[in-house]
Amino acid sequence: QGATVAFGGLKQDTSLPVEISADQLSVNQADGSATFAGNVLVGQGEMRLSAGSVRVEYGQDGKSITRLHATGGVTLANRTEAAESRDAVYTIATGEVVMTGDVMLTQGQSALSGQKLVIDLKAGTGVMEGRVQTIFVPGGN
Amino acid sequence: MARFDNTHSRIVAWLKVILPLAALAILSSLFLISRRIDPEAAIPYADVDVAERLREPRMTAPTYSGQTSDGAAIVVSASEARPDQGEGAGAAGLQAELTTPDGASTRFEAATARVTPDRTVLSLEGGVRIASSSGYDLTTDSLTAALDRTRFESAGAVQGSGPIGTLTAGRMVLTQEPGRPQSYVLVFTDGVKLIYLPPSP
Repeated sequence: QGATVAFGGLKQDTSLPVEISADQLSVNQADGSATFAGNVLVGQGEMRLSAGSVRVEYGQDGKSITRLHATGGVTLANRTEAAESRDAVYTIATGEVVMTGDVMLTQGQSALSGQKLVIDLKAGTGVMEGRVQTIFVPGGN
Repeated sequence: MARFDNTHSRIVAWLKVILPLAALAILSSLFLISRRIDPEAAIPYADVDVAERLREPRMTAPTYSGQTSDGAAIVVSASEARPDQGEGAGAAGLQAELTTPDGASTRFEAATARVTPDRTVLSLEGGVRIASSSGYDLTTDSLTAALDRTRFESAGAVQGSGPIGTLTAGRMVLTQEPGRPQSYVLVFTDGVKLIYLPPSP
């Protein structure tokens, strides 16, 4: 049982430049695998993803990034929505962010929590799965 | 000259005079007008100023190669090396190549370099360019290289580009990964910023 969530705010162009800043980046010389560590902040357009550490997964040609594996407490935020979870995987080409590990999503007043949240940044939609609980404030205004 | 009535004998008589004279002329040209061989110019001298060499001893195009305790090979070559007044040595136009056992290799180029007296630390100054086989091309202003164990550390900020984009960092260290002696890592510390431009779809 999943709850589809509208992510108006998170809709964005995934071909914008991705900027990753962190305390430390360590690159293995033999296979070139790169891991950012120490309050990593990934920014792309409006979206900000902060995590304890981010491992970069390369494309076949070794020149492009296919996925960013963020672990150690991830927060994904943009102007209006924010989502927190233990880890997340962001596939840049398809613009899909999969957040797993007691996910908590807040949209303005209302909040939604579950085990897994799949966000499609291009379409601006998200599906929350696994023991979904929601708290929302009835529109009192 | 005897008188002859027929032309044949007259020609032969003249030839008997002209031919030996011609032979004499050719023979003398072999010695009289041939090029003077100058024995001095036969040996090419080096045109380096010998006095300056004596006053300031130096080596041209020296190379140093060694192995660190963890098995990484270091080859250092320079355009010129000169001993500093009794403490270590200085070099100009330096190139170093580190080949680590895991197969990766990194090249360093620097304008000047100095070796400490105890020969364990080589410090590269005057703008250093680092090109690693994992695709990183970086520049920094100075870098210290330990020659006894694999540890290349930049003194200041590093900027450059890698396979996944342009990169700036506060400091850079190339050393063995702690805990996994066989693998070597290029670690950017003191704040690192990377900008990746996704290929336009």
